[in-house]
Amino acid sequence: MSTTTISVNKLTKTYNGQMAIEDISLNIQQGEIFGFLGHNGVGKTTTVNILTTLLDLSSGSAEVCGHDVVKDSMSVRRMIGYLPENVQFYDALTLHENLAFFARLSGISKPGDRIREVLQFLEFTGFEHQKLATFSKGMRQRVGIAQAILHKPEVLFLDEPTSGLDPQGVKTLRESIIRLNKELGMTIFMNTHLLSEVTKTCTSIGILSGGRLIYHDSLAKTLEAFPGRDSLEDIYLSIGKQF
Amino acid sequence: MNSPAMTVFKKEIKDALRSRVTVILIIGLSAIVLLSLVVASFEFRAKVIDYQQYLQSLKQSGGSVTDLPPQFFPLQLIRSAVEYLEIIGAIIAIVMGYGLVAKEKNRGTLRLLFSRPIKSADVSVGKLMALACIWLIILVLLSGVMIGSLMIIGGVSLSGTEVVKLFIFAGLAWLYLFMWSVLAMALAGYSKRLSTALVICLVLWLSIVLIIPQIGDTMDPDNQVPGGLFKSLQVDKLHEKAVLAHFTGYETARNLLEETSLSKRFERVSFAYLGIKDEFNQKPLGFIWKTKWPDIATLVGATGLSIVLAIIFSKKQKLLRKEYS
Repeated sequence: MSTTTISVNKLTKTYNGQMAIEDISLNIQQGEIFGFLGHNGVGKTTTVNILTTLLDLSSGSAEVCGHDVVKDSMSVRRMIGYLPENVQFYDALTLHENLAFFARLSGISKPGDRIREVLQFLEFTGFEHQKLATFSKGMRQRVGIAQAILHKPEVLFLDEPTSGLDPQGVKTLRESIIRLNKELGMTIFMNTHLLSEVTKTCTSIGILSGGRLIYHDSLAKTLEAFPGRDSLEDIYLSIGKQF
Repeated sequence: MNSPAMTVFKKEIKDALRSRVTVILIIGLSAIVLLSLVVASFEFRAKVIDYQQYLQSLKQSGGSVTDLPPQFFPLQLIRSAVEYLEIIGAIIAIVMGYGLVAKEKNRGTLRLLFSRPIKSADVSVGKLMALACIWLIILVLLSGVMIGSLMIIGGVSLSGTEVVKLFIFAGLAWLYLFMWSVLAMALAGYSKRLSTALVICLVLWLSIVLIIPQIGDTMDPDNQVPGGLFKSLQVDKLHEKAVLAHFTGYETARNLLEETSLSKRFERVSFAYLGIKDEFNQKPLGFIWKTKWPDIATLVGATGLSIVLAIIFSKKQKLLRKEYS
């Protein structure tokens, strides 16, 4: 029996009176890879920011692993890993120093072994003592994944993880995400507008339009429900037209 | 010990030591302070040699010494160093404090930081500890080099009291520079736009460090003539006081204006401990404390207030405000 890992109920956020997201309700089960789709500026990042406790909500409620994101934000943070869009680090520090810093903040007092383990899992060894200033965008994304999983989180939030990556970088990252889900059982919440990636990676999708969740179902059911459509792109555009 | 604040502190120290800008600023400030001290030490040594040569030539000509020997007070050589720390040190302190928050805001690392199970106060306390530690290291090293420079180049031996007074000055300089750094950190945290914070910092620096003290100095009649108005008119201290007694209202107003400047307060109390002001020269520590404690209390109060502001303005919502609005 699967358990609900992320539960969102009538979530609304306004900025200076302007609605960013409105009445979003959804449940994501343990072990899912959820693809959150939508054009730029529809509120995907706002939703992730609320779920990762970085942003206060205006109304409604949200729980991650049974913990309320407002009332019990510290517990939520202990359960999640987060990779923001265009992730940046402390460039003057080495890879090991950066990871050790984030590991200690997550309560790992002697992070050396865990860092080695994570880097081996991501097949990203040999760069530990290089400063991050020398890293490419693709390497930084992998560092981003590494820092997000150091403390063995139950849920991983990825905000446009493939943004700005070359095809090889996208492939490597996709493989890492799938392994994290399959081998470590992590639930993954992924903001993206790359539909090709959603087809290859996700088990369920949600579509956001104008700050409202207009569609939410498993990927398999979605593909079944639109038999005449050749690709997810067609389905996405078709659903978008209805709203 | 690996508390979150300590983890942030260690990271900040590493980051600062590897930052080219910070290292250049610190080396620059130290070089200026030391250069002023080295020049003053050489001048001091030259004066001593001149006096010794005068004595020798007097002996050779069979004359006897009738004039009292000139008085040399080695701590007075630190005067220029005080002024450099007061003016240039303050702007460097602003850059350092501002940079500590601005770098995080610009890089976008705050989102990673606050997605961890740490409190906002841990971040600000870690950063404050790093600033305190960096200034402590700089001033302890500068004090050591000041003593060395006075002894080796100036050729003087410092008494125990003089060493204590020098370290009290170093403590005051630490408080003053730390206060500027913390204030800049608070403003960088408070302002939605970093450029606004920088402009406010620079306006404060101009007002407190340059404009108010300059107005105060200009209002002082004794400063209008090089070497002092009363000295140039050959008016002795007693008569000078008698003349000034007619201008007490004016002098009180001038004094109040100067007291609004923390830089002036730092300068006054430093000049008192270093004996640069005649009325405090060679006076015991207790006497200086009795007269100057309000200036010290003001510096401590301003630093405390800056710390409170830095902690309040480093809250997650405040720091992330720019990114999510």
